[in-house]
Amino acid sequence: MKAFKQLLNLGVVLFGLLSFTIASESTKYKCMIQMINYTGESAYVVVSLINPNGEYEKTLYVQGDDEEWYHDISEWWKFYGKKRTNIDAITGATIAGGARNISIVDIEDSKIDSGYSIRFETAVEDQEYYTKDVEFPLTSETVKSKQQGTGFIRYVRMMPN
Amino acid sequence: MTISIWRYSHLALAVSSFVFVFLASVTGIVLAFQPISEQLQPFKSDGFDTASLAETLSVFKKTYPEVTALEIDKNDFVSASVITEDNKNLNGYFNPITAEYLGEKVEPSKLFQFATTLHRSLFLKGVGRFFVGLCSFLLFLIAVSGAILIIKRQRSFKKFFSKIVNDNFAQYWHVVLGRLSLIPIIVITITGVYLSLLKFNLLPESKASHTVDFEAISETPIQEIEAFTVFKNIPLADVKSVEFPFSSDVEDYYTIYLKDKEIVVNQFTGEVLSEIKYPLVTLISALSLNLHTGKGSIIWSLILAFACLNILFFIYSGFAMTLKRQKAKLRNKFKKHKCEYIILVGSENGSTIPFANAFYKQLIKAGKKVYITELNKYETFKKVKHIIVFTATYGEGEPPTNANTFLEQLKSTEQLYPISFSVVGFGSYAYPDFCQFALDVDRGFKAKKAHQFLPPFKINDRSLEAFNQWIYSFNKASGLVLEIPQKKLVSPPKQTKALQVISKTDVVSNPDDTFIITLKPSRKQRFNSGDLLAVYPENDYRERLYSIGKVNGNVQLSVKHYRNGFGSNYINSLQENAVFKARIIRNSAFHFPSKTTRVLLVANGTGIAPFIGMTHENTSKIETHLYYGLREKQSLNVYKKDLDSALQKKQLTQLHLAFSRVENKQYVQDLLLEDAPFVAETLKNNGVVMLCGSLAMQKGVLQVLNVICEKYNQKPLRYYQSKKQLKMDCY
Repeated sequence: MKAFKQLLNLGVVLFGLLSFTIASESTKYKCMIQMINYTGESAYVVVSLINPNGEYEKTLYVQGDDEEWYHDISEWWKFYGKKRTNIDAITGATIAGGARNISIVDIEDSKIDSGYSIRFETAVEDQEYYTKDVEFPLTSETVKSKQQGTGFIRYVRMMPN
Repeated sequence: MTISIWRYSHLALAVSSFVFVFLASVTGIVLAFQPISEQLQPFKSDGFDTASLAETLSVFKKTYPEVTALEIDKNDFVSASVITEDNKNLNGYFNPITAEYLGEKVEPSKLFQFATTLHRSLFLKGVGRFFVGLCSFLLFLIAVSGAILIIKRQRSFKKFFSKIVNDNFAQYWHVVLGRLSLIPIIVITITGVYLSLLKFNLLPESKASHTVDFEAISETPIQEIEAFTVFKNIPLADVKSVEFPFSSDVEDYYTIYLKDKEIVVNQFTGEVLSEIKYPLVTLISALSLNLHTGKGSIIWSLILAFACLNILFFIYSGFAMTLKRQKAKLRNKFKKHKCEYIILVGSENGSTIPFANAFYKQLIKAGKKVYITELNKYETFKKVKHIIVFTATYGEGEPPTNANTFLEQLKSTEQLYPISFSVVGFGSYAYPDFCQFALDVDRGFKAKKAHQFLPPFKINDRSLEAFNQWIYSFNKASGLVLEIPQKKLVSPPKQTKALQVISKTDVVSNPDDTFIITLKPSRKQRFNSGDLLAVYPENDYRERLYSIGKVNGNVQLSVKHYRNGFGSNYINSLQENAVFKARIIRNSAFHFPSKTTRVLLVANGTGIAPFIGMTHENTSKIETHLYYGLREKQSLNVYKKDLDSALQKKQLTQLHLAFSRVENKQYVQDLLLEDAPFVAETLKNNGVVMLCGSLAMQKGVLQVLNVICEKYNQKPLRYYQSKKQLKMDCY
């Protein structure tokens, strides 16, 4: 029994090492979200990586940690709610109207210039939900640009760190 | 029963909101401990209070290649988001002096998150928030109507915090705790309502935005951040958060959020580019949040928890009182115009009603047609011949609410037949105007030339014995044979404790048939001389009360033995070392004053028992004179040893004796009259007079005291009584 447990542990360690080496190069980007001056509750913001088919690939960042409201961000919830994978970056505070927030997102280099997009969706309690508040293709140009928002976000600025 | 409009609203509001208020209070108690648990964490750094924003920003800039956000919470913990040398993102608490990383931000525990959601929205989101806000408002109205009820009860705004008499657990503590937690509850509710209004955007919160003149913006003269005058002048304690420039572009700037304003600062020159002062609404919002949540203050959090705990108690005690009042409702068998007997009841809190109801039932049983109603419903009753009034007195000799217009109605209402009347007053000696309203009612009937069937009768503290005495005289006068089943009026013995007989003197050796018995509580118990011992000879509802003295930690009482005395026979039958059960009732209205200029103790017969205890307890040697009336010289023998020892120790200053069965017979009031200037001076200098003994003695002594006060001090006795300088316990 004990030997089996040790073997299992070894397996886990090996698998961990293996998966680590497989992980490709990635870059951290500084990303600033500036909200418009709306009134009401603070907004939940979810930043996701979208694959070339327009489907969710990975959740990069979630602003707001009260899971009670997650299903209001319905499109993303369809993707995330089923699997509940661990998200690298969840921060507690939602972003209030007029406020801004700087966060660091980690994007694999292979996703740049290869048809992937980054999506910012926003939702406010008892107000609108914007699935594509901001969405733009990830290219070596756009990762250091400023993009206008269409909902609660005034603009998003990104730059490699 | 008429309930004043305020009490009715108080109750109606409570009934309509208590479920939500209950939930909000329970969660509120839990949430009060959130700021406390936060404050106890070790993230506040030394030097925080003296640091300036310039120092902190420059040390962060030097330590980390990139800082993206910095925030200071209500606990003065500094949190930041930085990127380290090895390109890692680091979030958490930092030391503002050294920029050292202290630890991860602690997220509120699941319990607090759950309680928060339940507290503000009951898990019903917007709808729930609306209800919670509404109930907060209702609770505010409950607090206000409660405060008004207290003012009405105390008869004036000034007496809001003066003493109230404890005659009912739920009621007493409802009032006492209500006064204590009134302010916190008002603060909680107002801020709660305010926060709700804020959530629903019902308050004008303007969001001004910064206007920066990008044409004029300049990178020179470049300065190090620690040299920025504006940052040097801002103490770190005033900062709420800092937004850092996104890039090294000059158009990106610092935004500093302070408690009362926001400023935008050029990242190269330190020039202030724009400033927005917060409007009042924003400042009030921040204040409301702090007051409502207790953030940043352990003491205020504890006060909030205490207030929430009280709200729970109010829900309980409020309903307990309401149920009690419901039980005391008046119900009738016959139509009012067919009844010969009318019973009129005046009661503020319903405690008089069981007596009136018991009497009503017995009269019906005796075959009489009886109608029972409130005093305020007095009118021309077509067949009435006998009116019996049972009434309490409210506040300072005023009528209870359901009798407040009676005297007027009595004047203007005529009955068809000549009527007879009897008035029974219920009250407590603890109040200066004992049964005053009952006397007013009696006078009112006399003025109508009605026949006084029985003189007005006063009953102290719902005494069953006294009530039976009155029934006895009523039977005698009317020829009826009424007997009140007592079980319903008195609850069976509760909270009795075992006592052991230490010693007892012999009845036979005393010419007054008096004996002294000393008892030792088998478990340690707190009591004072002047408290009462309730004895249950048959271990049923029948109780007998004795004033006790505390002598060497034991209970000492003096009992007059009557051949058929229910209580005295029982106590006399107890042998040395016997153990029996009885209850000690706290009677704080009759305790020896701890601070006063002089005390006059006035007693006759067995009334001396508490006073012997008091002289024993008078170790601070307050000047104390005992005026004591007995039958003959030998009567004193049983007490002689105790009194002599008190005199010797100077715990009793002087003993004045009056003997009523010797030549030149004297009563204790005669002694007082002899010492009239001395008695007057005692009261004038805030001294205290205490009375214990028979009601006959009380009557005589009060008369004499009143004469003395009027003559020497030009003040009625009741002036001193209302200042609690006159304490009585007579039977």
